[in-house]
Amino acid sequence: MTILWVILALVVIAALWLVAMYNSLVQLRENVKNGWSQIDVQLKRRHDLIPNLVETAKGYIAHERGTLEAVVKARQQAVNATGLKDKQEAENFLSGTLRSLFAVAENYPNLKADQTMLRLQEELTSTENKISFARQYYNDEVNRLNISIQSFPNSIVAQMGGFTKAEFFEIKDSAEKEVPKVKF
Amino acid sequence: MPYSFTQIDQDKTKTIGFVFSFLILFYFLSGWCIAVIVKNYLILETSSQYADSGQYSLSLLNIEETIITLLIALFIGGIHWLCSVQNLIPKMAKVLGVQPLDPNDSYHQMLKNIIDEVSVATGGKKMEGVVIPTMAMNAFALADFKGNAVIGVTEGLLSRLSRAQIEAVVGHEAAHVVSGDCLSTTVTTSIFALYNGLLNGLSQVMRGGQYSSRRRGGGFLALILVIYLVLSVTRLLSLLARMFISREREFRADAVSVRLTRDPLSLAEALYAISHRWRGAGLTGEDLEAIFIINPKFSFLDEQNNLFADLFSTHPPVEKRLGVLLDMAKTDVQSLEENFQKNLNKPKQSIPEPSDAISQTWMVQQGGQWSGPFNFEQLLTVGGLTPETWVKKTGGSVKHAYEDEIVQGIFQKNEQGTGGDIQCPRCHVPLGQIFYEGVPVLKCLHCGGVMAMPDDIQRIIIREDMGFPERIEHMAQMIEQGRVPRVEKGDISLRTANVMPCPNCRNRQIRLLRMFYTMAYPVEVDKCTNCGCIWFDKDELEVLQYLIEKKAKEQLN
Repeated sequence: MTILWVILALVVIAALWLVAMYNSLVQLRENVKNGWSQIDVQLKRRHDLIPNLVETAKGYIAHERGTLEAVVKARQQAVNATGLKDKQEAENFLSGTLRSLFAVAENYPNLKADQTMLRLQEELTSTENKISFARQYYNDEVNRLNISIQSFPNSIVAQMGGFTKAEFFEIKDSAEKEVPKVKF
Repeated sequence: MPYSFTQIDQDKTKTIGFVFSFLILFYFLSGWCIAVIVKNYLILETSSQYADSGQYSLSLLNIEETIITLLIALFIGGIHWLCSVQNLIPKMAKVLGVQPLDPNDSYHQMLKNIIDEVSVATGGKKMEGVVIPTMAMNAFALADFKGNAVIGVTEGLLSRLSRAQIEAVVGHEAAHVVSGDCLSTTVTTSIFALYNGLLNGLSQVMRGGQYSSRRRGGGFLALILVIYLVLSVTRLLSLLARMFISREREFRADAVSVRLTRDPLSLAEALYAISHRWRGAGLTGEDLEAIFIINPKFSFLDEQNNLFADLFSTHPPVEKRLGVLLDMAKTDVQSLEENFQKNLNKPKQSIPEPSDAISQTWMVQQGGQWSGPFNFEQLLTVGGLTPETWVKKTGGSVKHAYEDEIVQGIFQKNEQGTGGDIQCPRCHVPLGQIFYEGVPVLKCLHCGGVMAMPDDIQRIIIREDMGFPERIEHMAQMIEQGRVPRVEKGDISLRTANVMPCPNCRNRQIRLLRMFYTMAYPVEVDKCTNCGCIWFDKDELEVLQYLIEKKAKEQLN
């Protein structure tokens, strides 16, 4: 009789443990989803800002057609891109063309002093930062999810619940800051 | 395991529970003492037997009386608690004197963007931004039980730190908000220190000349005494309350900020800059020190490393914080100091002045035909002018319109719009909106005068983006020597004194009054006593700014 009770208790504990495990995995998956949607919002925001930027810059550097057209083209590619890999590449390319546009703008003091340009530049800087922060958050959460799915007892629950590993979103950026070691 | 905001332990409830118990304990103990005194006093007074026998014994409270005292303490403590946590953020904000962000101000827009960025990094925690209009440098965070959070910085900090540095500071404040220690700090400060500041101000007013106690008599003196009594009790309380505010939380927030912005150097630079400038001592908010990134008052206690300091100070030593951060950034204090000095003396860019725009003329090619010559004002009315139209300055070569520095201004102006029907009080032409130090002001393109509202002026004089030509330095020197510099275009400033109409008021009868900006900075300006707007003739605003910046720099050295 006692053995029956013990077994019953063990079953209940195991069931509770499974539920807790499953819930934590769901939570992680939601965080990843949320992180991805944040990145998406910011990428769209960047796409929306670029036409304005090009219009403003045109007034001052109309003869630098190559640079401006490269930005417009890169933006179109980025808008049309689907799938994580394509998106990554298109966004990387877009960042590159934008950087060369700002480098060109450095040579035109009047363009640099233009209020609309300043405002757009601030908006773009902010959006770039947001993208990088959103990516940081997303990648952190992806990392947690992936580790959780692969480590031993969780991996059973993950397989039963149909959890799959998520992909990192990486943007190759020369100005990327490395993660410093945090010490207390 | 990676470290993200979702993992930070939320320890707010524990601290807040402690604070509440402490509050009740305080009221209970003081109530108990008062009850004992009252009881003994009354007994000594009413029953003569003690007095006769000459024996004196202190009688304490029995259990019933103790319970009643406890209930009273609970009641008063509860009311105190409820009063303190009601409208937590608006109340604190009022004491600090904060202002909401102005969407037209480019500095404020930047702050809003930075806060949004940091919010993204936390996974979407909503935070509101505010500013304190003062030259001091500091930053703070507030939070309440409903989950609202406010991050505020002073105008001085906003204008003197770089974008990366402000980002690091905001990251630090966001760390307080997300980890939950901001809530406990806000509540503790509200309970123990908020009224402290108010009473402090009151007692200073009372001591001031016109309310002198000699004139008001005894009743007034009693009031002052009561205020001092309450003040010293709240002082003691706020000192004790500091025990609940851990110094370690600043280290933790620094670390989270670094995790977030990946930029330990900027945070170190920001802390260094804040600690070397005026941080806000003397403002009404100084008693709320716990909510700030660096204590507004310099305190020796903060800079110490013993148990007593650990218990009673609210901030860890700045040196230690810098040490940790610089260690992460792989650099040292010496190079940080050198950089700070270098940035301080960095030459600033002055905006190119289209000074002779009025006297120049241009030919314009339209439909294969050259027309003109037009002066700048007339160019504004020429239709169909695009950046790629060919123009020819008198005595110059043929260029695209966007290549000519002055003609280019036309396209900028169209973007910015004008000040509507507000007219220049001198030239009676509509004023155009320009951005000066990130603040939208109305400027006359003819005489170069500027109209600004008091709030805007306050912001402008705090900011230091502009460089000044030698002309301004010369005029500033004259003012310092007590002479009145004339504006370049002859003696218009004296002839038209007191007769210019206010450009901002509907009623054209209202005149501007000529006065010094302040006695400390005797720059002549024209002020409307009705709407408060100030009209600066050409160069006057720059001279004022130059004088104020110079004094700030002198104080720093």
